[in-house]
Amino acid sequence: MIDELLFFMEVLVGGLLAGTMYSLVALGFVLIFKASATFNFSQGAMVFFSVLAFCGFMQDFNIPFVLAFILAALLMVVVGLCTERLVLRPLMNASEDTVLMATIGLGYVLEGLAQAAWGVEVRRLDLGIGDFPVPWIADNLKLFISALDITAGLVAAIMIIGLFLLFKYTKIGLGLRAVADDAGAASSIGIPLKHIMLLVWSAAGVVALVAGCMWGARAGVQFALVDLALKALPVLIIGGFSSIPGAIIGGLIIGAVEKILEVYIGPFFGGAIEGWAPYVLAIFFLLYRPEGLFGEKIIRRV
Amino acid sequence: MSNTSANILDIKNIEVRYDNVILALHDVSLKVPKGKVVALLGANGAGKSTTLKAVSTMLASERGKVTNGSIEYDGNAIDKQTPSQMVGLGMVQVLEGRRCFGHLTVEENIISGAYSRKLSKGDINQELEKIYTYFIRLKERRKSQAAFTSGGEQQMIAVARAMMAKPKMLLLDEPTMGLAPQLVAEIFNIVKELNTKEGVSILLAEQNTNVALKNSDYGYIIETGRVMLDGTAESLLNDDKVKELYLGISKKGRKNFRDVLKEESLKKRSN
Repeated sequence: MIDELLFFMEVLVGGLLAGTMYSLVALGFVLIFKASATFNFSQGAMVFFSVLAFCGFMQDFNIPFVLAFILAALLMVVVGLCTERLVLRPLMNASEDTVLMATIGLGYVLEGLAQAAWGVEVRRLDLGIGDFPVPWIADNLKLFISALDITAGLVAAIMIIGLFLLFKYTKIGLGLRAVADDAGAASSIGIPLKHIMLLVWSAAGVVALVAGCMWGARAGVQFALVDLALKALPVLIIGGFSSIPGAIIGGLIIGAVEKILEVYIGPFFGGAIEGWAPYVLAIFFLLYRPEGLFGEKIIRRV
Repeated sequence: MSNTSANILDIKNIEVRYDNVILALHDVSLKVPKGKVVALLGANGAGKSTTLKAVSTMLASERGKVTNGSIEYDGNAIDKQTPSQMVGLGMVQVLEGRRCFGHLTVEENIISGAYSRKLSKGDINQELEKIYTYFIRLKERRKSQAAFTSGGEQQMIAVARAMMAKPKMLLLDEPTMGLAPQLVAEIFNIVKELNTKEGVSILLAEQNTNVALKNSDYGYIIETGRVMLDGTAESLLNDDKVKELYLGISKKGRKNFRDVLKEESLKKRSN
C-alpha cells in the first residue's frame, strides 16, 4: 500500500516538474499573445534557434557557459528587434490572421537560419545537471525525482515571478497591459507600440532560450524541439492564452495528467497515450470552458 | 519652436482618402484659437472623426492618408509624425467610444496616460490628485476594474487619462455618445473647467449640436467631407438653417445643407 502511494507520488511529482517545462514554452506564447493577440507559431522555432545558437557559441567558439548564455539572450533580443522592424511594423494595419501567417513564415526562416549557421546534427547540451534521481530525495523520501526536473521547476518559478513583477509594477508592464487591452487607445495616449512589441518579442525570445536549455539538456538540441513546443497548445487552451499564471498551472496540469494517465490508464490502450491525452483534455476545455482556467474573460457590461 | 500666431491648430483645405481610394474628406479648413473650445458638428459619416484623426495622425493606422492640404499645429507642420510623437508635442485625442483599458483599474487607466512623460512616482501621485479634483467620481472608484464602470465614468476615465499626458490641446471625439442628459452636462462641465483652469485648447466632434454649441466658442458644420458653415457658437445657435437642420426645429422637409443648396439653385434658375 505504502509502495503504491509512493509510486503514485513519484509519478505525480515527476509529472508536475516535467510540466514546468511545458509551462516555460507556453509562457513565450502568452507574452506575444498578450501584446498582439496572435498565436506565435514561430515560438517553437525560436526555442530551437536560441538553444542551438547557445550550443554553437559554447561548442564551436569555446565561449564559456555564462557568456554564451548572455550572447544567446542578446541574439534573441536582436531577433525580436528584426521581427518588430521587418515583420510586425509593415503588417501593423493587417488583420490578426495575416500576422498569424507571418509568424508561420518567420518560424521557417528561423529554422533555416539556425541550421545554416550551426549545422543539422543533434547536439548534446550539458548544463552540468544530470537527468537522474537526486540521491538525497531518493534516500530520505523514497522518491526518484530527476535533478533536471527540479531545476526546471525552480527556473520556471523564478521566471514567472520575474515576469509577474515586471508586468504588475513597472511602467513598461503597464504599457504592455494597456496595449493588450486596446492597442489603438494605447497609441492615442502616447504608448509607443514598437517599444512594447520589442519588449514582448525579446522577452519571449529569452523565455524560449531558457525553455530550450531545459528541453535540450533532456532530449538533445535538435530539430524535434520545434514540434515539442506545440505541446504548449493544450497547455494554453487549459490555462488561457493571455494568462501567465494560466500557462504555469496549465503546464503543471498537462504534465501531471499525462503521466498519471500514461501509467494507470495507458496499459488499457496499449500505452503511449501521453502523446495525445493532453489534446483530449484540451477538447473538453474547449467545449466547456473555452477561455481556459485563467484566461481573461471577455468582459461585457450588460 | 514656439508659436506666435493666435491659432494652436490650423487646418487648410485637407483632403483625406482611405486605402488611396475612398474620399472621406473633400475640403476641410478650420482653425482652433489658443485656449478656445471649437465644435465640429455633423451627422454620422460627415467626416468629424476623420478630421480629428488626420490631426492626431491616427489615420495611418486605419490606412487613411491626408492627400492634399496642410495641417499646422503649434507652428509645426504635421505630416510624418506618429501618434506618440503628437502626444509628446502636447496633442492628445480621446477616441470615439471611450476605449478604456477594461482589465486595468480606473487608476491604472489614468496613470497610463502619463506614459509619454518621464515622471517619478511622487510626481505621478501629485498629478493624479490634481486630476481627481476634476473627476471626483473617479477617485471613489479608483480601484475598480474599468470595464465594470458605467458609460459616463468610462468617458471620464478616457478624458482623465488624456489629461495625464499634460496636453496643450485635446481632441474629443463624441464624448457624450450614448450618455444620459445629466451625464452629458457633467462631462461638458468638466471639459469647460479643463479648458478654463488648465488652459487646454479643445477641438470637439459632436452630434449633439445644441449642447456642443452652448459649451463652445466657435463651431464648424461639416457634411459629406466639406465644411458647410462656420461661425461663432452664438451665431450658429441663432442661425435659421442650423436650427432647422441640426436642432430639429424644422418646418420644411429639408434634411441637410445639400438640400438647401439644391433648393436655392433651383430658385435662382426659375428666376
